[in-house]
Amino acid sequence: MTNIPVNAVDVSNLTVKFGDFIAVNNISFSVEKGEIFGFLGANGAGKTTTIRVLCGLLLPTSGKVKVSDVTYEQGIEAIKAKVGYMSQKFTLYNDLSIHENFAFTASLRKIPSDTLKRRTKELLEFIGFSKPMNTLVRDLPGGIKQQVSLAASILHDPEIIFLDEPTAGVTPVARARFWALIKQLAKDGKTIFVTTHYMDEAEQCGRIALMRTGKIIALDGPENLKKTTFPEPIIELNPKGTIPSELIEQLRINKAVDSIDSYGMKYHLIIKDPQEWNQLSINIAPYFVIRQIPPSLEDVFIRLVEGVTR
Amino acid sequence: MNLQFNFKRALSIAKKEKFHIMRDPFTLTMATILPVLLVLIFGLAIEFNVKDIGLTVHDSDRTFSSRKLVEVFSSSQYFNINPSRGSIVDAINDLDSERSKASLIIEPEFEHNLLAHGNTKAQFLLDGADNSTAGVILGYLGGIQKAANFKLTGTLVKEPIELKTRYLFNPELSSPWFIVPGLAVVVIAILSILLTALTVAREWENGSMELLLSTPVQPLEIIIGKLIPYTVIGLAAVLLVVLVAILGFGIPFAGNIMLFGIGSLIFLIACLAQGMLISVLIRTQQLSMQIAMVTGLLPSLLLSGFIFPLESMPKVFQNFTSILPSKWFMIISRGIFLKGADFIDLKLPFLGLFLLCSILIITATKKFKKDLEP
Repeated sequence: MTNIPVNAVDVSNLTVKFGDFIAVNNISFSVEKGEIFGFLGANGAGKTTTIRVLCGLLLPTSGKVKVSDVTYEQGIEAIKAKVGYMSQKFTLYNDLSIHENFAFTASLRKIPSDTLKRRTKELLEFIGFSKPMNTLVRDLPGGIKQQVSLAASILHDPEIIFLDEPTAGVTPVARARFWALIKQLAKDGKTIFVTTHYMDEAEQCGRIALMRTGKIIALDGPENLKKTTFPEPIIELNPKGTIPSELIEQLRINKAVDSIDSYGMKYHLIIKDPQEWNQLSINIAPYFVIRQIPPSLEDVFIRLVEGVTR
Repeated sequence: MNLQFNFKRALSIAKKEKFHIMRDPFTLTMATILPVLLVLIFGLAIEFNVKDIGLTVHDSDRTFSSRKLVEVFSSSQYFNINPSRGSIVDAINDLDSERSKASLIIEPEFEHNLLAHGNTKAQFLLDGADNSTAGVILGYLGGIQKAANFKLTGTLVKEPIELKTRYLFNPELSSPWFIVPGLAVVVIAILSILLTALTVAREWENGSMELLLSTPVQPLEIIIGKLIPYTVIGLAAVLLVVLVAILGFGIPFAGNIMLFGIGSLIFLIACLAQGMLISVLIRTQQLSMQIAMVTGLLPSLLLSGFIFPLESMPKVFQNFTSILPSKWFMIISRGIFLKGADFIDLKLPFLGLFLLCSILIITATKKFKKDLEP
């Protein structure tokens, strides 16, 4: 291989089966070093299973997996040493203090005590933690817990950090703060692999993989995903008052229109023929405030993940 | 694959487990209150020597001899005489109404027969519904009969063969002597099975198992690490029971304390492994706890010979009890405590205990390994 930028994660033809159930179906992708890689999909799409394979918690049924230049053939312990994993569930011990939690994790990973001291100081500064180290974890607010949990999972300074729905159930302010930390980590050269249900979080990823029933159905940057999913502009129609009910049906069969869907009180219209649309837009101007809008990631998600099943 | 057992990591687990124990009011309360409570309940409240037995006397004879017979009963300090209210039916009704445990019915010819024929009869009715009390009363009757013979005829009857019984190891047949050494078994069983039944289930429920999984820690390290602090608690509880037995109840410790300690340790580890196995299999704290209660309490109380002798059970049950560690440790505990038995005397129970302990640990570790390893 002569590629200069070594990939942090290389997955080819990965399949994971649980009995007859195929959780991950022949997926291939790569994640570059220093990238924030988002994993999107409905529950049960195979996100967590994929992550567990990449963290050395689950053996692949078939396919090749290379994590930070380590393959499964070199042993799962070698993989575990290279990655940090923060699971969906909150994994710190509530009845232990922050220091005790850190010391415990460190001792399982055989981190020497002077390294532990240095890393603890660095990480607590990094997350801006100012309370005493002997505070019990159960006494921390939810958002802070999440940040401390992140710190604990990167105590051994891993090259790749896997975050499985890290911000589920915390306040929007705490989410924003958590993402600032994620971005900082990526800036420092860490590779971040994150799953989320929040579209605003997905927007902040370098690239996104969309998963559905064990397969990756789209993989690109957020902007590219929007462009490729919606090559035509989206027009928002905001009714000025009550509109004749047959008007929407007429628009639906109009040559200029590809599709029209209601979004709350408004309508999203996709153009088929721009020339025809110019004329049509003048005709319907009395009824609607017309505005061209960029597609959101949510539009993409709905069209790709849910649209296919319709 | 690197499967090296690292003792330092096991110690880290043990240290972490210590924090859990120290900060969990439930565990601490259980560990201290339970042994004390059990010793109090079983050591003081259970008394096999029955006293103040209600005895309804229906005396139709009303002679010097019949009064003498009643006197023998009343002066024996075991019986409280309830005088009959006239009808012989009362003697039976009193048993029905629990007013008395036994009735003595003396027929009108009692004295006449004694004087005329040299022997006479009286009827003794016993409430057989409560068979343990009935057994004890039956035991008293032999002595009372002797005393009555002497009082009524003035001579000691010479029996052709006289059996003289001397009780070894517990000369006064004191209940605490019998009960308290057995309590070591019950205390260890309940305490250790219950405490460990929660530890692995708790990790699954809290999600902290994920944390353990993402580190290089090995299943055996987790099992050993978790066993260490509970072993300490269990040994402390045994020590407490032994001290209470010696100092509180004045039971002499006849055997080798080291041998007793080793036996306790093997039994303790067997129970801890049993709790661990429950926890590994069940994974939820609530259900684990219920199963631990049943499998910890019932065998040690009912099927270990603690109160009910195994010898009186059906053969099938007797054979079944051999797979219960508590049966073997019961033999060891009473043997060393009261009889001063040595290892040679107890090699079979020790072997049984050791085998069961090994099987439990291996099963728990294997199942745990299967769950944890990818």
